[in-house]
Order: sequence, then structure tokens, then C-alpha cells
Amino acid sequence: MEAMTQHTVLFCLGTSLSLPLLSAMLSLVVRERYAWIVSVTSPFLMFVAAVTAVFVSVSTWNEPSLQFNCAWFQLGEIGVRAGVLLNNHTRIMLIVVTTVSALVHIYSTGYMAGDHGLRKYFSALGFFTFAMLLLCVADNFMLIFFAWELVGFSSYLLIGHWSEKPEAAAAAKKAFIFNRFGDAGFLIGMLLIAISRNTFDINALSLVQSHNILDTAAALCIFCGVIGKSAQFPLLTWLPDAMEGPTPVSALIHAATMVAAGIFLIVRVHFIFTPEALNVVVVFGALTALMAALSACVQHDLKKILAYSTISQLGLMVTAAGVGDPSAAMLHLFTHAFFKACLFLGAGSIIHAVHHAQSKSLTHFDVQDVRNLGGLRRDMPFTAIAFLIAGASLAGLPFFSGFLSKDAILSAVFNWTNGGTWQYLILINTLIVSMLTVIYMFRLFWNVFMGEFRGAAELDIHEAPMVMRGPIAVLMICSIWLIVSFSPIHFDGWLYSGLNTTAPHNTIIVIVSALWVLLSLLLAYSFRNKTLQSEFLFRSFYLDRVYSATIIKGTSYLSQLTTKTDVRWIDGGIHLLAYVQVTVANLIGWFDRFIVDGIVNLFAWLANGIGAFIRSFQEGKIQLYVFWSSIAIVIFLIWTLF
Amino acid sequence: MQHYLISLLIFTPLVAACICLFLPKKFEKAFRAVALIVNVQQILWLLPMLVGFRASGMFQFVERSNWITLNLGSWGVLKAEYLVGVDGMSLPLVALSVFVLLIATISSWSIQKNVKGYFVLLLILNAAVIGSFVALDFLLFYLFFEFMLLPMFFLIAIWGGPRREYASIKFLLYTLLGSILILVVMIGLYTSVSDPVASQGGLLVHSFNLLHMMEPMNFISNTILDPNNPWQIGWFNARYWAFLLLFIGFAIKLPMVPLHTWLPDAHVEAPTPVSVILAAILLKIGGYGLLRIAYPIFPEAAMHFGMFVGIMGVLSIIYGALNAMASKDLKRLIAYSSVSHMGFVLLGAASVTEEGIAGAVYQMVSHGIISAMLFLIAGVLYDRTHDRIIDHYSGLSSKMQNFTALVLVGFFASMGLPGFSGFIAEVMVFLGSFRSNATNGVLHESLAVIATSGLILSAAYYLWTLQRMFFGPFHLKANIESDAIVDLTSREYVMLVPLAIAALCFGIFPQPMLDMIDPFAKYLTALVIDHGKAITLNP
Repeated sequence: MEAMTQHTVLFCLGTSLSLPLLSAMLSLVVRERYAWIVSVTSPFLMFVAAVTAVFVSVSTWNEPSLQFNCAWFQLGEIGVRAGVLLNNHTRIMLIVVTTVSALVHIYSTGYMAGDHGLRKYFSALGFFTFAMLLLCVADNFMLIFFAWELVGFSSYLLIGHWSEKPEAAAAAKKAFIFNRFGDAGFLIGMLLIAISRNTFDINALSLVQSHNILDTAAALCIFCGVIGKSAQFPLLTWLPDAMEGPTPVSALIHAATMVAAGIFLIVRVHFIFTPEALNVVVVFGALTALMAALSACVQHDLKKILAYSTISQLGLMVTAAGVGDPSAAMLHLFTHAFFKACLFLGAGSIIHAVHHAQSKSLTHFDVQDVRNLGGLRRDMPFTAIAFLIAGASLAGLPFFSGFLSKDAILSAVFNWTNGGTWQYLILINTLIVSMLTVIYMFRLFWNVFMGEFRGAAELDIHEAPMVMRGPIAVLMICSIWLIVSFSPIHFDGWLYSGLNTTAPHNTIIVIVSALWVLLSLLLAYSFRNKTLQSEFLFRSFYLDRVYSATIIKGTSYLSQLTTKTDVRWIDGGIHLLAYVQVTVANLIGWFDRFIVDGIVNLFAWLANGIGAFIRSFQEGKIQLYVFWSSIAIVIFLIWTLF
Repeated sequence: MQHYLISLLIFTPLVAACICLFLPKKFEKAFRAVALIVNVQQILWLLPMLVGFRASGMFQFVERSNWITLNLGSWGVLKAEYLVGVDGMSLPLVALSVFVLLIATISSWSIQKNVKGYFVLLLILNAAVIGSFVALDFLLFYLFFEFMLLPMFFLIAIWGGPRREYASIKFLLYTLLGSILILVVMIGLYTSVSDPVASQGGLLVHSFNLLHMMEPMNFISNTILDPNNPWQIGWFNARYWAFLLLFIGFAIKLPMVPLHTWLPDAHVEAPTPVSVILAAILLKIGGYGLLRIAYPIFPEAAMHFGMFVGIMGVLSIIYGALNAMASKDLKRLIAYSSVSHMGFVLLGAASVTEEGIAGAVYQMVSHGIISAMLFLIAGVLYDRTHDRIIDHYSGLSSKMQNFTALVLVGFFASMGLPGFSGFIAEVMVFLGSFRSNATNGVLHESLAVIATSGLILSAAYYLWTLQRMFFGPFHLKANIESDAIVDLTSREYVMLVPLAIAALCFGIFPQPMLDMIDPFAKYLTALVIDHGKAITLNP
């Protein structure tokens, strides 16, 4: 295909970015009575956006990167520009986000039919797609951070979609606050970098290479953002809780796109990570992958198994990025998005179908608990096949896309382990995780589709409607190897080679990996009737308990303390001051009344007394006057004579 | 006309207040109409100022006339002027005040008790607020500053809630304490500063002109605040003391922890429009005073105590947020969140960097918009049920969908979600405080890192409130009638929606306002650093 003009590219980009936003706005202005309109317009707009995005991405594939930007605002000396950057990484993300989003929109029209908050739902979903696309195409840190927080916001809205459910409200809050922890780190890291280089532009930053301790610190701060968004250890527990949201949302946001944004960020700004920082990244990624895979093995909730699996796969991607092969991470991100979305939509179909059947039969049991399911292959053959194919892809069976991308990660880790012993631990860890993946996936499939139905009653379960099966079918097709490469054993296909990467392909690894997966499958089959019970793993290593015992308790203690300080000490001090002042005023009042006035009164009393005394001489009786005058004369005579 | 715009802004409400005094008490609609007309008129006069304002560090629309000239013989001449003007800091704040006062007037529609008195006080407050943002003469500033107390005191004491006497007296005494500290410094400055133009020819003319005070040359040698040879009092010299007094005086108004406890009480008791004015405008005068008076006049002290100011800022951010989390009353929570957000103003100012100071001003405007919205939100609920206790509500979103949407906007704007004005302000403050160590060595980077925990805490208390009040199953405490829970009225939309739009606009397109603020920030930073160095280097 001939090169497109820049204007065409820009126009297509603008279209695919603005249509989701338009869909979000449109959903808000439609009247409640005509809410059904939304379920027509939103999928349609998203479909157009997807077609445009795929067209522009495919037709400019492997062309040099394009950047368009314009001045946005000035932060002191740093000019912040808003703009888009189109390179192969961006193109992959554009394809993933718009395709999965469009499919999820279509699926939602079936899944969410009859929901009261349909407008709210599609509005948030459209806004999420817009923010996610913005995150992918943004050319500078500031814009990325903008979009980064906005996807978190829309995720909050969507997890809490059924807000009258207390668990949903709590999960939404938890997701946002956990993300805030990461985002605070991201913000610090971004500002540290911007201050030392005086720019937010990623292309400009990539030209300046420096490796000092401050760069490591900044990179680790940015990695905090990744930890939050991609649910890595120690901030991983929000993602299983986020499964309270509608299942299509889980598919789009908490499996395929938003949680992968962290991976995309590491890939995008990989040059910022110093070798020391990358080592930390590897350790966190490997730890997360293992922990989540172990937890996934003991969960009972259909969606939670998939959620832990997502965390584990994200851990693998982080590991890949940490060992210095971001392209492998990107490849796995790409394949994972499709097969995991397929699994989630399949799970949604199961929940939808069983829930419907359940509400007709007036029984009640937890439809998401795999212990209550079973034998669904008979009632839902299509979903079973989709689940099988996507699950095989996730487990990494040959001839599926997951096999190739996992192969890329294994190769990357293998090539990296030339040095110390701890690096072999990472390699072994990766292999263990890939085995655990097979085990929990097999267990999930076996419990849900094989055997007999274990639910409370005989239910009349039907396959989901066409509008839900269609997207699943598309995603199922996207889970086979052809999407990545023409050769089913060689991951270095049309996609990987476009990511300017150097990791060599290793045939031995392909063979080992295939054998390893088959061995794991064998193991899983032989242990199919055993169930592992571990409260420790079930509660994901008691991380939540640790948090509630430390951070939450500490914060609430502190907040009580500050309130007490305010009431008792600060206001207490002020009241004491006021009290002292009033007391002093009273004392002075008393002094005024009794001492000052007392003295004055004393004089008055004295004058009064003397006056009375004097007055007593003048009673008006003539005899008394004569008496006193005689005495006076006598005194006078005595006085003068002696 | 162009030359009297500021005076028109100040005196229109005063004239209107006088007219209202002569109207009979029963014309309740007339008072509302007069107040509304004044507010609209003020906006009309503000527009040419916003259009005609040129981005530079200089004062514009300056009006100057003689006010008091008193020959005191051997003590020189006392000279105070009517000197007003706006620069990049005051114009956004004046614009904010005019905008918020309009919304407060609309919000005052529901006031039923003694309408005449209420609107007369509101108009006086209006004039005093605008006057303190534009006064460039210390005496004039002080006059307006004190003049705000009187209407505010009565507005809380008469139209307030159950504990209004306590709250209003606490407010008055706290603020008066601050005013006295400022008065002391003003007198000190008056004795130390001479008017360079009028003083020629052996005549000593003491000036209250703030611009003269900012120039170290204008200090009379061997006076108490002479930069070359200030008096030593106790641990510090007199200039350091003067800075601290001003700092405490304005920090009470800001308010800064631990001088903040008047604020939650005043807010909880004040009627909604008064809360809106208090949070959105009056608190800003604290930050404004710091940047207009304390920083440029005592630059070396500002640099010396920078770390202290920064620590107090971070303390306010975290302490306020923690307190908000423990609040049981919605309005109290919002009041404490104000304390937390005004901490960013202190932190930004303390950094003495262009970004930090611009961020502080941006935060003042942004907080003015957002806190006005939040207090109106609390008022919406209070109007319906006369109950603001968070635990008495649950699941409001099912009955008040549109209100919940606006609450979401307000809460997320306040917690600094990108796309709202608060984010831009916070980023600038963080940037400034990170950069401070490298450029002028005032603040340590760790302060900014600690301050980011305020972002997490604010998310925590807002989302927890949302979860408790608006989500979950619909449920009210027994004595609240569920019939009272109805969605927003059109008057409430008129108040809330413009504020939401303003917060969004300044969050997505910050450049127009930054264009105004930035030259001021650049000018002030250079002034503080240059003068600060020059004064410190003097023997």
C-alpha cells in the first residue's frame, strides 16, 4: 500500500480518537426513554473507529514514526506540548484497543440488555476507550499521565456500575485508591525526569541518555505507576476485586487494555530504565507472575481465576520488559488481549446463560462459582469451543498465539541469563508460571465444561444470543498463531519484526517450551480430580489483611488522632485561653466591684456616717440646742481660761 | 471609563448597599434583584479588564489619588493614598470573586430571614473583598481586610446554624488576632519607609505604599525594619519577626494548621452562600497577602523561613486530609479538604520558584471554583433534609442521578483528577518544590514527595464518602423523609454547572490564565531572590 499523506493519517487518528468520545457524549444526552438508541449508536461508532484505526495502523505499518503536536501550556521553563506519536508500538495498541473495544461494545448490547444504567454504561465505556487511545498515542509524559488517570477514572465508574451492590462500590473505591498509590509515584518520577531534562516529550527524552542514581530513582517511581495500573505486587489485590464490574468491562478494561497500559508504558519509555531499575522490574514482575499463578490455582470464582491469570500474565510481560526485551512484552500484550478478552466474554456468556436459567427456575446459587458449574459443553457448545481455543492459547499450546508470545518471553529471559545465579531463578520461575498456567486453565475448563452440572437444580441453559457469540468468535479466531506470524513455531513474524528488536529466535526453546506445556497438560490431567485448598493462596497471600492491619488501620488511627488533636488540644487550648480570659475578666470585675468600688463606697459610707453623726446634733429640739450650746460655752471657757 | 473600572467594581456594591438601606423591609424581591444586578454589572466591568490586561509583571488599571496627608511636624508626614491596581495575581482572584459572588447571590435566593439585612451585608462584603484584592496601599488594604470581618461575622451569627454564636465569635477572634499582628507590622513599616518621590527636599514623608515597601532603597536608615541594619529582637532581627508576624496573620486566614480550627466550625454553621464565599474567596486573601505583602517586602526572611513555610504547607496538606477522613459531617469534611488544599498554596509559595508561585496562585483560583461547588453540593443536601451527617445516607445515586453526577465531578475535581484545574495547580506546585533545591536551595525535594501522600488521602476520603453516601442500597436514617430526596432544581443547575465547566476549562486549557499569572510569578520570584540575596549579603 502506498504511503499515506500525513493529513490522511492525522485525520484517521483524529477520527478513531474522537468517535469514542462522541459516543460517550451522545450516550449522556439521549433521554432515558430512548436509552435503546445508545446500544445502537455506541457499537456503531466504535466499529467505525476500529475500522479507521486498523486501517491507518496496518497501512502505515513499519513506516517511520510520525509525530504531530502543538503547544499546550507552559510550566515555567518547560513547554508542554500536546500531540500524538505514531510508531509500531502505538499502531499495535490502536488495533488492540479499538478492536477489543468495538467487540465488547457489540457484546454489551446483548449482555447489558435491559439494564437500568445503559446510558451511563455506554458513556463510561466510550470515555474509557477515548482515554485509553489517548494514552496510547500521546507523545509526552504529561498527556500520558492525563490519560492514565482518566482511564483509572472510567474504570472506577465501570467497576461501580452496579453501585447499589455494596461490594461493587467498595471494589471501585479500592481500585482507584490502589491506582492512586501508583500514580503518586508516577507523578513524582515524571516530574523528576522533566526537571532534569526540561521536557516532557518522550522523543526528546530518548535522545538524552544518562545513568545516574537520580535516573534510577525516577525510573522506579514511574514503575510505581506500572505496579498500580498493571496490578503488580504489592498492589495486585484490586484487580480480583474489580471483577464486581460487568463482565464485558472486565474483558475490555481489566484484561485486554487498561491493565496492559502499564506494560505499554514500560515499553514506551524503556530507555528511561537504567540497568539497576530493570533488575528491580524483573524481580517484581517474576514475583507477581508466580504469586498470581499460585492464587489462580485455588480460586473458585470463574472471573477471579481469570483475573489472577491476568495478573500472572502481566507479571510475565513485566519480566520480559525487565530483561531488556520490551518487544516480547508487547507481543504477549497483543496476543493476551485477544485470548483473555475471549475468555472473559466466554465467562460472561456462561454467567449470563446460567443466571437467566437460574432466575427462571427460582433457585439460588452462585453462578460464578466453578464448583456449581459443570457439563456446560452440552448446553453451550460454542462457548466451550471458544473457551477451549482461547484457553489453549493462554496455556501456551502450540499452534496458538499464546505459544508464540510466551516463546518470545522465554527466549528473552533465556538470553538474559548469561550472568548470575539469580537470573536462572527468574528463568525457572518463568517456566513454573507457564506450568501453573496450564494447570489452572485446565482445571477451569474441566470444572466448567466437563463432567455433570453441579448446580442446585436441573436448569434449562441456552447458548448466548448471536450478538454475544459474534464477538467471541472473532476473538477466538484471533487466538490462533496466524495473528502473529505465518510460522506456527517461529514467533519472529510480521508483528515481532516490526518492533525493532534483536532477540534471536531459538529453536531449542521452542521445542523445550512445547514439551514443557505438554508435560504440564499431562500433569494437570492426572491431578484433575484433586483440589488444592489453601486459605493463604486463596486470599492472595493475605496481602489485603496486611494492608488493612497496617496502612488502613494506621491511617484511620492517624485521622482519629488529628481529630482528637483538633478537638482536645487546639480547640482545647483555645477554650482554655478563653476560659482564662473570662476568669481574669471576672477577677477584674470582682476587683472593680469590691476593691475599687469598695474604696469609693467606703468613702461614701464614711461621709455618710460622719454626716449622720453631725446631723445628730441638729434634732430641732430647743432644749438640746440649749444643752449643746451650754456645753460648748463650758468647753470654750475651759479652753480659754486654761 | 477605562480608568475607573476598579473603583466601579469596589463602589457599585457599596452604593447598592446604601440604596437597599433606604428600601422598605418588605420588598424582599427588590433586594435580591439589586444584588443580582450589581453582580452582573460587576461582570460587565470585569470583561474589559480581562480583555485589556496585558501579560506583564506590572500593575495595570492603576488609580491613584490622595487620601490622607497629615503633617506631624518632626515626625514627618503621614501619607496614605487611594492606590488600586491589578496584576497577574490579583486579576484572576478578582475575576474569581466576581464570579463566585454572583453564584453566591443566586444561592442566597433561599434565605428567608431578614432578607434586607442579609443582602446589605452581602453587598458590603462584596466591596470589601474586591477592595482587598486591588489595594496597593497598606492602610487601604488593611481597611478592606478588616471591613470583611464585620459582614462575615453577622452573616454567620444571624443566619447560621445551631452553634452560630460560638462559630462566629471564634471566627472573629481568630481573624482579629491575625489582623493585630498585621497591624503591628504595618505600623513598623510605616515608621521605616519613606516615599522616595515626595520626600525630597528634607521633608520626610512616611508612606503606606506597598510598592515603596518592596524596594529596600526606600527604608530609612537605622529604623526598626531597615534592611541594612535591622534591630535585633531576641533570636531574630526585627525584619524576620515582622515576616513571621505577617506570616501568622495571613496563615490564620489561609488557614494553616495549627491555626485552622475556626474554619470547620465557621463552615458548619454558616449558611450555604456564606460558606461558598468563605471558602472560595476569603481564604484566598491569606495566600494573596503572603504573596503580595510578606514575600516581596521581606524577601530575605521569606528565603530564610522557606523551609519552615514549606513544612507547614505539607503539614496542612496531610493533617487536613486526615481530619477530613475522620469527619462525620459532609460540610466539615469539605472544610477540612479546604485546609488540605490550601496547604498547596503554602508549599508553592515556599518554593520561591516561578512554577511554585504560579502554581500557588493557580491553586487559589482553582480551589475557589471547586470548593464553591463542593459547598453548594453540601447545601443541596442540607436544603432538602437539614441533615449533613454522612452516615445518615446511603445509596443516594439511585434517587438523585444528576446530583450524583455533579458530585462525582466536584469530588474528582477536588482530588486533582487531570482535566480539572486542581491537577494543573498541583503539578505546578510539585514541580516548583522539586526544583527549589536546585535553583535556590529553599526546599528539600522530600517535602514534595511527602506532599504527594495528600493526593492519595484525598482520593481516599472522597471515594469513601461517595461509597457511603451515594452508593449501596438506598437507605436513610429514620427521621429523614425520603420524599425530600429529589433531584436538582433548575436554580441548582444554574449554580453548579458553570462551576463544573470552569473547573474543566481551566484544567484542559490552562494557558490563558497561566499567561496572566506567569509574568507575575516570574517577577515575584526574581524580586524575592534578588532582593533577598542583596539584603542578606549586606554586612
